[in-house]
Amino acid sequence: MRRAGALVVVLGFGVVAVAAFARDKSQPAPQWAVDAAKTSTPESAKDAPAVILFDEYLITVDEQNHAVEREREAIRILKPQGRPYSHCSIDYDVDEKLNYFRSWTFAADGRPMQAMESDFEDHGAYEAPVLQFTERIRTVNPPGSDPGSVVVCETEEQLRPYMSEEEWSIQLSIPVVFEALELALPPGGHYADSWAHFAAVKPEELAGNHLRWELKDVPALDLENVHATPAWRALAARMSVKWGDSAVKGSDNQWRALGLWQAKLEEHRTDATPEIAAKAKELTADAPDVYTKLSRITEYIQKNIRYFIVAKGIGGWQAHSAEEIFRNRYGDCKDKTTLLISMLQSIGIRAVYLHVDSRRGVIDPNAPSLVGNHMITAIELPEGASDARLMARAKTSSGKDLLIFDPTDEETPVGLIRQELQGAWGNLSDGDGSQVLEMPVLKPESAGLVREGAFDLRVDGGLAGDLHETFVGDDATDERWFLKDSDAKEVREALEKRLAADLPGVVFKDYAFKGTPDLDQPLKLDLHVDAAMYAHPSGSLLLLRPRILGSHAHAAPDVMEGKPRTYPIEIGHPGRWRDSFDVTLPAGYAVDELPEPVNVDMDFASYHASATAKGNMLHYEREYVVRAVEIPATRGADYRKLEGAIVMDERGTAVLKKQ
Amino acid sequence: MRLRAQLFPALSLFCLCTPTLLKAQFQEPTKEELQMTEDPKAPGAAAVFLNIQEATDDPLHFHRFYARVKVLQEKGKDLATVEIPYERGNIKVTDIHGRTIHPDGTVIPLEGKPEDLLSSKTTDKQFGRKVFTLPSVEVGSIFEYEYQERYDDNHYSSPLWEIQREYFVHKAHYAFTPFKAFLKGLQGGTNQILVDSKGNAVNALIWTNILPPDVHVVIDPVGRFTVDISDVPAIPREEWMPPLRSVLYNVLFYYKSSVDMTDFWVSEAKRWSKEVDHFAEPTKEIREAVAGIVAPGDADLDKARKLYKAVQALDNTDFSRKREHAELKQLGLREAKRAGDTWNQKSGSSQDIALLYLAMLRVAGLTAYDMKVVNRDNGVFSPGYLNFEQLDDDVVILSTGGKEIFLDPGEKMCPFQTLDWRHAGAVGIRQSAEGRAIQSTPNVAYASNSLSRMGYLKLDAQGAVSGSLHFAMTGQEALRWRQMGLRNDDDEVKKSFDRWLQGILPEGVEGHLDHFIGMEDSNTNLMAVCKVAGELGTATAKRLLIPGFFFQTRQREPFVEEAKRLTPVDMRFGEKVSDEITYEIPATLQVEGKPQDTKIPWEGKAVYLTKSSVEQNRVTIADEMVRAFAVLKPEEYGDLRSFYQKIAAADQQQLVFTTASVAVKGN
Repeated sequence: MRRAGALVVVLGFGVVAVAAFARDKSQPAPQWAVDAAKTSTPESAKDAPAVILFDEYLITVDEQNHAVEREREAIRILKPQGRPYSHCSIDYDVDEKLNYFRSWTFAADGRPMQAMESDFEDHGAYEAPVLQFTERIRTVNPPGSDPGSVVVCETEEQLRPYMSEEEWSIQLSIPVVFEALELALPPGGHYADSWAHFAAVKPEELAGNHLRWELKDVPALDLENVHATPAWRALAARMSVKWGDSAVKGSDNQWRALGLWQAKLEEHRTDATPEIAAKAKELTADAPDVYTKLSRITEYIQKNIRYFIVAKGIGGWQAHSAEEIFRNRYGDCKDKTTLLISMLQSIGIRAVYLHVDSRRGVIDPNAPSLVGNHMITAIELPEGASDARLMARAKTSSGKDLLIFDPTDEETPVGLIRQELQGAWGNLSDGDGSQVLEMPVLKPESAGLVREGAFDLRVDGGLAGDLHETFVGDDATDERWFLKDSDAKEVREALEKRLAADLPGVVFKDYAFKGTPDLDQPLKLDLHVDAAMYAHPSGSLLLLRPRILGSHAHAAPDVMEGKPRTYPIEIGHPGRWRDSFDVTLPAGYAVDELPEPVNVDMDFASYHASATAKGNMLHYEREYVVRAVEIPATRGADYRKLEGAIVMDERGTAVLKKQ
Repeated sequence: MRLRAQLFPALSLFCLCTPTLLKAQFQEPTKEELQMTEDPKAPGAAAVFLNIQEATDDPLHFHRFYARVKVLQEKGKDLATVEIPYERGNIKVTDIHGRTIHPDGTVIPLEGKPEDLLSSKTTDKQFGRKVFTLPSVEVGSIFEYEYQERYDDNHYSSPLWEIQREYFVHKAHYAFTPFKAFLKGLQGGTNQILVDSKGNAVNALIWTNILPPDVHVVIDPVGRFTVDISDVPAIPREEWMPPLRSVLYNVLFYYKSSVDMTDFWVSEAKRWSKEVDHFAEPTKEIREAVAGIVAPGDADLDKARKLYKAVQALDNTDFSRKREHAELKQLGLREAKRAGDTWNQKSGSSQDIALLYLAMLRVAGLTAYDMKVVNRDNGVFSPGYLNFEQLDDDVVILSTGGKEIFLDPGEKMCPFQTLDWRHAGAVGIRQSAEGRAIQSTPNVAYASNSLSRMGYLKLDAQGAVSGSLHFAMTGQEALRWRQMGLRNDDDEVKKSFDRWLQGILPEGVEGHLDHFIGMEDSNTNLMAVCKVAGELGTATAKRLLIPGFFFQTRQREPFVEEAKRLTPVDMRFGEKVSDEITYEIPATLQVEGKPQDTKIPWEGKAVYLTKSSVEQNRVTIADEMVRAFAVLKPEEYGDLRSFYQKIAAADQQQLVFTTASVAVKGN
């Protein structure tokens, strides 16, 4: 069972909780395990590294809505690389209790063995020095876990008392032969279920308020050779089951209940102390407009509140108080949002929490749940706030004009959001107005790169000249994060590798990044490059690639090969990228042939490139525009046409001939 | 901090305290430190350590660490989060203090309790980490912190001073007060004695170090140790580095039992050799097995080959799965105590199998020795570090016909008479007729690690290619794929090969492995047969151009510019890679230009050759790269980079065809 992730993670999160407790005296395997191990491997699973033969959850909820969850699982190892799938594990935190964890193995010859105490190990959950947890993961290293054997695990755990939702991960990276979820509610108790990427299944009522969902032969979700797809979690089937106050009927009501739950959890956390209010007012004292007010406060948080958290139990969901965050000058995504809301409300601007996932598509508007790994801010824009820089706007169902902002992203200015959030959904926590909200896909003007260069080509094929790059929006954010996370040596090496990918043997000097600290300004890079043997002699010819450097080709081999495709094709992020290069030819050479111009126009993207010659000057220019973040799988042919044209243009060669 | 074995139960325990050390000892920053925005001694650094202090007082059972850091760039703020790993139960982390000082002099103390988090826990060991972050750290801040690790009176400890850190260190002071018995004039001050984990009395204190030439370990008249060092460069971050621990500045102290330092390796080697001979002692089962494998009339080398094949066929648990104690018990098996156990159980670790092979060679009447080497992927043998545990793996030396042959039976799928690169050119201790000695295994000849890529491709008038590629591999490259096949099934290996293949094919061309030949037989060449197809060429109105070198079009700059290379370049093993691609071309295409025949020599180190030929409807382009070295000195880095840059530039050449009927591509 996958737990709804705590809100402390900016990037991927999720600990698969499976089964288990240990023994120091051997006990016979229970009958359910013996029976499950006899399940034959279906033909459809033969190529998988392992197969789950049986996976059953039983969630028992008491009168106080506190739940105990038992899991029974049987996994057959089919191939040597399938061994890790048999290492059952379960996560537990300070406010959970692991009642037991047991495991047995039936070797390929049927001989049973039990995992002993020494076969279990606990690890603290860990993401990074700045992102730590009190949560632990207990894992079994089962005896006899060789191909052909079946490992069975059984666990029981008291769930967190403040949670009333569990996520059932129906689809995994290996096939499942049989799986079931049972929910035993107290008298009068009620439930709600929601299904993502899977047709809803009706439960069987085993007894009063005791329900059971059963599924058979769920295929693995294998994206290994499928490229440019949404995140795995955005495609995998899952079900979310709720009880207690969250268990209301109807999708909108469920989203509202989840938003109210979040709001209650953060109640008074955003209360501004006099110091916070004074700081907010000081920052915005002479601000002439809404944009300036917002940018000063958001930049203050981006620059002054460092990311650090040790998530402890409910602390995975509940922010620290604004007072504490302001004093310590550090916190996680919830904390940064909390302080931002607090400071904004001090100057009369209302803002609320927006629970999102940093992987677009994971939050499904049709499947209300607490699934998500990140908290950002939705700012209510005052009427008439029409500044063109405030692009990341979304409207609620009641018509509220919201500006979406991620205060954890220290390098994206207010008004924009990163590509991962564009077109994704989030759960707005706004009292009775709580709802699921779609974040905007920005216009191409929001991001991109302009690259300009003037070069001299030498007779020996050497190319030298000045290059200027201007990054905006998401492209500038990428560069700024890189500069922030790197020292001078790393920056130089990365730059050398990037340039040398197109200009082997390049020597560069006088490089300088300009505009780094001003988030709302473009980031510029100027440098001088010199590449020996850029053009190559071939008899009386000199062959030159006019594209010089940079590539817009995306590697999606399965799409390019025309293989059948089910999943959407991710195409990057909206933006406009322009190159303009002038090459002065060496004396005695003239252009004999140039690559044909390329012009491809689609609704989701366009690509135009041309090389021209005038006198001793060769000019190349191109513009690539992207207007979407993904396209349906049915547009594979259009994608191939676009990518094919880009690849051909990028390979294009100008032929110079000695006169 | 490394905790050692227990003190012998004390007759009287010391109850000294160290009041001055228990208080926070922070330093007032200078005006220059507060205002510093860049450090001329560490240009471009994101942070610098202004001070590091480490003190271990074994008589008083504590270790103190202090650091003072100046943050110069955003990335340097990462240092403000501190993790202190420790072994739970034996060590307590106490007296954590810290503070942040802003450039304007504002002081913000560290408040609150550090988190105590679990790192790992098994039935017999538990490791945790204390975590805290300094408050209000910003670029320009100075922050400092200290903590102590305390261990109980029945344990002793000795420090490892890791002197080089992630960032430049201005000034560092290290101090170690050893256990009282090792302090001059104070030996009588204790009636405690140290014993190691085996119960042997510990009576020697030893240290080994890697330090700059002008820095020394100083011992005062009492026997306390200090090192003072300034301007310590940051840990180098370079590509193709040897194992890091072999190049970093450090000082390691350790207590030893009954050691005559002058002949440590002699006595340890003797002990080890005795254990090896005991393990490999012939048993009835081994004699019977050998008798069933070799014939009395077999030549020595044939006997050795047959026995090698027999032990290689056993289940090597380092490549399958190690059975833990509880499982062995349930299966009625036991951990191998003698070579015969490994043979009987048809299963063992790499070491078990190597020693079984040794035993079988000896039973077969051959002269053979064991050699224990440092795995080159892990480290470099340090004779000054008197610890036999630095040696990792066993190889076997067969002496026959006046020659010695090095064999790697524990490395599953390693061909007979070949060493895995990790064991080649590796130093260790060996047995011999004359006794034991420190020696290096031979390097692997580059010619024995070869990769030959041959292709026959049909090129059409529009630049599309299709055909097959044959990869022939010997030595390390073949071993890599064969060992992958031990841990994965055929489909998985095929997928991995396809991923590798895609990385070396030109843009626009797709390739897939059709099948391997010789995957199971480590003594033959490994062949991979692949099918490829795709768009290789670009057309203009009059010409068709294709990359001159089929496999090099995605080559990236392998060596970046280094102002000064600090560490040797370790490329693991020498090799020979040769390519030959033949294009069958349609009659409408005429070769107008082809890559020039080239020879790029690097005297005594490497050479790169290219050759192209045209005959009727075929164009053949061949190239060969021979790299005869595995490791280079830092000062050779510039030549290495220059050599590869010349190759990368030469690889950009194109094959030019003219035709009047070429269709125009693009839109």
